[in-house]
Amino acid sequence: MSENILEQIGKIANETNSKVVTLRKGETVIEVEKDNLRNFITHLVQDLKVRNLTTITGLDLGQEIGIMYHFSYERETIHVRTKVAKTSAAPSIVKIIPGAILYEMEVHDMFGTGFEGNPWNDKKLLLPDNWPSDLPPPLLKSSKPAEIRKRLHLEAEPKK
Amino acid sequence: MSTDVDKRREESAGLMEYSAENLVPFGPIHPSLKEPEYFKIILEGERIVDVIPRIGYVHRGLEKAAEMRPWVQNMYMFERTCGICSFVHSLCYGQAVEGLTIFQVPKRAEYIRLIICEMERIHSHLLWVGLMGHWAGFDTLFMWVWQDREVVLDLVEAISGNRVHKSMNAFCGVRRDMPEGMEKHIVERMKFMTDRARYYREIIDTEETMLERTQKVGAHVTQDTVEKLCAVGPMARYVGLRQDVRLNNPYAAYGEVPFEIVTRNEGDVQALLRLRLDEIIASANMISYAVENLPDGPIKVKIPPVIPAGEHSSRCEAPRGEIFYYVKSTGGRTPDRVKSRQPTLANLPLALEILKGQTLADVPVVLTAIDPCFGCMDRMSFLDTEKNKQWTWSGEQLRQYGINYYFPDRKDKA
Repeated sequence: MSENILEQIGKIANETNSKVVTLRKGETVIEVEKDNLRNFITHLVQDLKVRNLTTITGLDLGQEIGIMYHFSYERETIHVRTKVAKTSAAPSIVKIIPGAILYEMEVHDMFGTGFEGNPWNDKKLLLPDNWPSDLPPPLLKSSKPAEIRKRLHLEAEPKK
Repeated sequence: MSTDVDKRREESAGLMEYSAENLVPFGPIHPSLKEPEYFKIILEGERIVDVIPRIGYVHRGLEKAAEMRPWVQNMYMFERTCGICSFVHSLCYGQAVEGLTIFQVPKRAEYIRLIICEMERIHSHLLWVGLMGHWAGFDTLFMWVWQDREVVLDLVEAISGNRVHKSMNAFCGVRRDMPEGMEKHIVERMKFMTDRARYYREIIDTEETMLERTQKVGAHVTQDTVEKLCAVGPMARYVGLRQDVRLNNPYAAYGEVPFEIVTRNEGDVQALLRLRLDEIIASANMISYAVENLPDGPIKVKIPPVIPAGEHSSRCEAPRGEIFYYVKSTGGRTPDRVKSRQPTLANLPLALEILKGQTLADVPVVLTAIDPCFGCMDRMSFLDTEKNKQWTWSGEQLRQYGINYYFPDRKDKA
C-alpha cells in the first residue's frame, strides 16, 4: 500500500514539475514550486487521501525561507518543501486543510513569511503583541536573543 | 457599554465573523486552566457561538535555544518541554538524531524505553481522569485517582531515580538499567493498576454526577471534521479513527510487544473517559509483557558528539497524541534547526470546534477533555502577572538573581 502511494505521488509530482527525493525508507521529500503548491496539496489531499498534516516547519536558507509541510500516511512521512523569498508571501492552504491555520500563524510569527489567504494572518500567535516591527523574526539566523531581550525590556531586574 | 462591545467587535473583525451579543474573556489566568492561555468566548444567550484563542503566554523559544546548544544538551532541554510526558519528548528528539547516525539502539534499551513511555501514559491518563472528576464536581474521584497515580510514579522513581524529569534517555540507549528483581513487583503493581482502572470504568459508567456532566457533552463531530482539522491521539480515536503511531509506525519496541488499539465511536466527553481508562489497561498489559520478556544485553552505545549532516524526522505517541520532531544537521556540534510539534497545538482547532453550541458552564469540562498542555504547546517562559511583563532568563542570570537576592552585599555580584 505504502509503495503504491509513493508511485502515485511520483505521478502527481511529474504533472506539477516537482522533484521527488527519497531521504531514506519511510521518508520522502518533494520539492514543489511555490506557484504549484496549492495544486499539489489539493491532489495529495483529495485524490490520494493523504490528509494528516503533522505540522509546517520554517527553515532559514539564507536568501530564502524554506517551508516544509509534513504529512503522515501509514508508515510514510511525506515532506512537501517549497521556497519563498524572504519578503514575499507563501500561498495559504487553510482552504484545503483547515487544521493548518495555527501552523501557518506559527511560521508567520517565527520567520515573518506571510500566508496569502489565511484569515488570521495579521494576528500574532506566539509572539507578544508589542513585538517591535523592525526586529527580525526570532527564528531567523540574523536574530539575536540578547537583542530581543533588550528591545522588549526583558532583562531581569534584581529584587530589592 | 455599547461602545465597548462595538470596540471588541472591531478588534475581532477579520478574525471571524459572528453575530453574537456577548463576549466573555476566558483566561489567561482562570481557575479551570492550569496554565495561562486566553480564549475569547462569544456567546448568544448561554450558548457558545465562537471561540478565538490567543496562545503564547508561556513561550520560551526552545527551538531558538536548541540552535545554540550541543546535541546532547538539547535532549535534556526538550525533556523540559512538559512536566507530565517528559520522557517521550527526549525519546522523539533522540530518535530523530539517531536516524542521522549509523548506530543502532540495543534491544534492551528499546524495551526499557517502552516501559517508561507506557508508565508515563498511565500516570498522565490518571492525572487527567482525576481532573475530569474535579471539573465535573466529583472531588472524591479526583483524590482516589491521584492516590493511585502515586503507584506508577513510585515505579518510575524506582527505575529512573526521578518522578518527573527522568533524564533516562541518551543517544542510542538509556542511561540507567532496570534495577534487579523489579520484574515481579512491577507485574504485581500493573495488575493492581488494571483492577483500579476497571473499577473507575464502572464508576464513570454508573455514577450520576459523571454521567450528567460528560454524556453528550461536546458538540458532535464527524470523522471527516476530525481528519480535516488534523487532530491526533485520543481526540482522533474517540470518533473511531484508528490513528495511533504505536500501531501505524511502530518505534522503540512497539513492533514486538502485543498491542491493541482502543477506539470509541460516541464522540463525547464520556467516550474520552472510557477510552483513556481502557488505554491504561492496555498500557499495563504492555508493561507486564515487556518486563517479563526483557532481553539481555547492553543498554547503550556511545556515539560521537558530532552528528553527520542531513535531515530526519521522528514521530512518537505521547499520552496526548502524536508528537513530531524534525532535525536538520549541517555536520556541526549544534543542530541547524529543530522543530517540535506538540499534540495540544494540533488538537486546539478541534477543541474550538467542539465548544461551539455548548453552554458556558461546560467550557472547563470540554477544554479539559482534550487534555490540554499549554506549556507544551507554547514550548516555553516566565510571566509576571503583576507587572504584566514577560521575560526569559539564562541559567547564569538565574544564578546571579539568586546571589543578588540572598547576598545583596556580596562583592562578585553582577
